[in-house]
Amino acid sequence: MKKKFAGTGRRLSLWWSRLAAMSIKELLQLRRDPLLLAAIIYLFTVDIFMAGGVKMQLNNAMVAVHDADHSMASRELIYRFRPPYFKLRGEILDAHEGIRLLDSGEAMLVLDIPSQFQRDLIQGKTADVQVQVDTSNSVLGFLASSYAGQIIGQYSFDRAIERMGLTKESMGKMPMLVDQHRVWYNPNQTDSWFMSISEMLTVITILSIMLPAAAAVREKERGTIEQLLVSPLTPMQILLPKVISMTMVILIGTAVSILLILEPVFHVPIKGSLSLFFMVTVLYTFTTAGLGLFIATVSRNLAQVAMLTILIMMPMIFLSGAWTPPEAMPAGLRQAMCLSPLYYYIEMSYGILLKGTRLNILWDSLLGLTSLGILVFGFGVWRFRRQFE
Amino acid sequence: MNMTRIRVVASKECREILRDRLFFTLAFVVPASLMLLFGYGISLDVENIPFAALDYDNSSMSRDYLHRFIDSRYFDYKGSVRTERDLDPMLAHSDIRFAIIIPPKFQENLMAGRPVAVQSIIDGTFPFRTSTSKGYVIAINAEFNGELLAGYISRHLGISQKQAAVMAQPVGFQLRYLYNQEIKSIWSIASAMMMLVLMICPPFLTALGVVREKENGSIYNIYASTVTRGEFLMGKLAPYVGISVINILILWFMATFVFGAPFKGDPFFFFIVSVIYITCTTGIGLLVSLIVYTQVAAMMLTTIVTLVPSVLYSGLLVPIASMDAESKFEAHLFPAMYYTEIALGSFLKGIGLEQLWGNALVLALYAGCLWTLSYFLFNKRPKS
Repeated sequence: MKKKFAGTGRRLSLWWSRLAAMSIKELLQLRRDPLLLAAIIYLFTVDIFMAGGVKMQLNNAMVAVHDADHSMASRELIYRFRPPYFKLRGEILDAHEGIRLLDSGEAMLVLDIPSQFQRDLIQGKTADVQVQVDTSNSVLGFLASSYAGQIIGQYSFDRAIERMGLTKESMGKMPMLVDQHRVWYNPNQTDSWFMSISEMLTVITILSIMLPAAAAVREKERGTIEQLLVSPLTPMQILLPKVISMTMVILIGTAVSILLILEPVFHVPIKGSLSLFFMVTVLYTFTTAGLGLFIATVSRNLAQVAMLTILIMMPMIFLSGAWTPPEAMPAGLRQAMCLSPLYYYIEMSYGILLKGTRLNILWDSLLGLTSLGILVFGFGVWRFRRQFE
Repeated sequence: MNMTRIRVVASKECREILRDRLFFTLAFVVPASLMLLFGYGISLDVENIPFAALDYDNSSMSRDYLHRFIDSRYFDYKGSVRTERDLDPMLAHSDIRFAIIIPPKFQENLMAGRPVAVQSIIDGTFPFRTSTSKGYVIAINAEFNGELLAGYISRHLGISQKQAAVMAQPVGFQLRYLYNQEIKSIWSIASAMMMLVLMICPPFLTALGVVREKENGSIYNIYASTVTRGEFLMGKLAPYVGISVINILILWFMATFVFGAPFKGDPFFFFIVSVIYITCTTGIGLLVSLIVYTQVAAMMLTTIVTLVPSVLYSGLLVPIASMDAESKFEAHLFPAMYYTEIALGSFLKGIGLEQLWGNALVLALYAGCLWTLSYFLFNKRPKS
């Protein structure tokens, strides 16, 4: 009995030491490819830093003005188009020039004030102002028209108040809605918080699919898989170290980008528990590594791996809510999103990092990721093992 | 330059691609399916924002006000809650992105001619969507305010509602959306997608080409042969350029027929520029292939130089004009930006060579530089 127990113990420790040896081998192999290592470091630092610098807000949109009135009233309206949203580009003489500026992208918005603007205002008629907006970029096109509408609406409101001879004090005696916005989780709508987190999740996804897939196919392509096959290693002992070592690399990279980029450079308020975030990350990388292993079993060379990775990875990144939240997806795709591990991971990452959400709220996403992870990883392992038989 | 030798290298490469059935299929399947997925999947239109309401007043006026949100296609009503505390988990779990809180005595105060503060809580996780949502809220409130003011004027001055409405809003506002009248983002996205797909796919096809031979050792056949470096590179890349040219046509058909994006420009000009653009992106793949020693590193490096800049610095999400100086500089370093302008111009604006020749020239120069650089980096006598 005791002897048998000792035998199991020895086998277990042998199993572990083989696993460790193979993991170290994978890490060594990575270290000997300086360009690959540099690329990984670049992705986790400079790339995220650069992405955080991109702003998605309307910023100094060029406004060209066609002012046919040249009155006090028209000038007052024009000067309300100010930075940060707008920047006056100057006056144009006719409508054609406005179209030309919009065509060439030199102006985003053309404001057209009719010739009897001030007279109409004084006489109590409605004075129409025309605004043309370039909406070839629909996000900013919409923002520009929305802000322009607000500016003109406010101007109109101010004129109405003035016309009735009301003052600021008497406004308190009028029926009015007062807007009170509160923006939660990102009060100033700092783009860099969103952009840097989103980019970090993208980088983790890219690496966690590509690295294990490449590590597995490389052996096939170079023929070293034959050596592994004649060794006493089991398929699990060949495959797990690849996933383990790459997960370690990704975890270190994630820690580096949070501690060196996200916190000090962009001041992302890490509201939730970092250890929970890392646990979720491990779960996620194992899941996507399963996808990577699946790719590895289908392909015979790295060129195929590269193409298959894009085919799986790009839809995953774009359709899982990294750029647009789930509610913006068409109905059919919203259901398909439930099959993407990244969808759950993003939900939890934004929840933990920005919102400070805890497990009691995120448990369903965690459940989704875990079950998907078991399924995908199990499938990957099953396919991988079958190759050996 | 010996045409026969180029042809021989090209036909060898062609055969290799054709024999790798999976790779050959993927070379066409990947661009087309990316185009389909992005076209249908990326919607930058901010609609159906899920929201909840907390109505402390529950009067006819507050319900009327609330219905302006419920009936709007921009908002998706998820239900009412009883206390402010119920909103926390809903926002934290992203069940809702926006909540509106109507204070008690909403109707009473407004009837009595007193201002009322309406609170809205907006989820700031996606900043650009937050700004848009805010814009919707402000617009709905402004409309409601206009009506309140008109009512107030008509009561105080004893004039008709219609006259009062003119007084309450002295400045009318007509908005014209140019180029994309319905601001449906699918058109601008479909044309920009051509840029993205043609930026990602050709380099990935090419990047492993030379480094594969280096890693497998078959490059020594080339070293030992009479083929010169120029001939080898030309022959090696010709099939990949060919595949990408076919892809240009497929993608163009998809953009116009599947997504219905109008093509207003000059097809011939656009085709020529697209070919220049793919020579450029193929050149990026080639350059990567020459710098690195292993295929894995080639894959990583290609991801870095194509994927990220083509999304962030191409004008796809953010137009170049509204970037800050630093991002603007980075944007000018990558070819994606120039092609985006050409694609958007050709599709939506109907402008051609006259306005876009500068961008086309930059692309051509870019391609020239990449190929020359590759020529000098490739050496038939490797350092041992």
